[in-house]
Amino acid sequence: MAGELESCKPLSGLLSGLAQDAFYGHPGITEELLRSQLYPDVPIEEFRPFQAKMRGILKSIASADMDFNQLEAFLTAQTKKQGGITSDQAAVISKFWKSHKTKIRESLMNQSRWDSGLRGLSWRVDGKSQSRHSAEIHTPVAIMELEIGKSGQESEFLCLEFDEIKVNQVLKKLSEIFRDHS
Amino acid sequence: QLIDFQWKLGMAVSSDSCRSLKYPYVAVMLKVADHSGQVKNKSFEMTIPQFQNFYRQFKEIAAIIETV
Repeated sequence: MAGELESCKPLSGLLSGLAQDAFYGHPGITEELLRSQLYPDVPIEEFRPFQAKMRGILKSIASADMDFNQLEAFLTAQTKKQGGITSDQAAVISKFWKSHKTKIRESLMNQSRWDSGLRGLSWRVDGKSQSRHSAEIHTPVAIMELEIGKSGQESEFLCLEFDEIKVNQVLKKLSEIFRDHS
Repeated sequence: QLIDFQWKLGMAVSSDSCRSLKYPYVAVMLKVADHSGQVKNKSFEMTIPQFQNFYRQFKEIAAIIETV
């Protein structure tokens, strides 16, 4: 039933499914699910090495974050290999990578970030005004709410207060980052 | 209350899931004290575009707090 495996229509779907499993961490995408949905007439013993080959190719491409020249060269080499891929299959893979490259890369970046990421930021500036009965001096205050969270976990909200001096101190520190590295 | 603010500019070169990551990021470490005086460290990461937005917002805050 090699002809079935060579047909390109389900290959795009297979690559999507493999990406969901390998990069986006989508649970429940089993070999059997992919086979029954996309290649129902192919027996599992034939499907297994086929999907493993495609998964390996996809992982190599993503791991090296290939640009289009590298991709061309890589896929051409795969078509020339014994037990490699057909040029039609190479075209499908190429198209898939071109449209999903950015999303997959982002997903891989998130997987490598183990610390919390910044999810949201909001702020306001309050002016504490003078009152007739107290000696409170007019001190404006910036209130900032940072939403941070680790991948897959709930957000933590940090509420910070800054007076003018603090704001300028932080600003100075932030500008130092650009000083050496813009 | 923010007591201290430290930053680190890092470049994630490679990881076990992606050999060629090549993405720069800014890691921030905040030392904060709550109303009871307890001090905690909070850290998080930002991508460069996120950091640029963060910086821009701080400049805005500085501009406004000056005029209030």
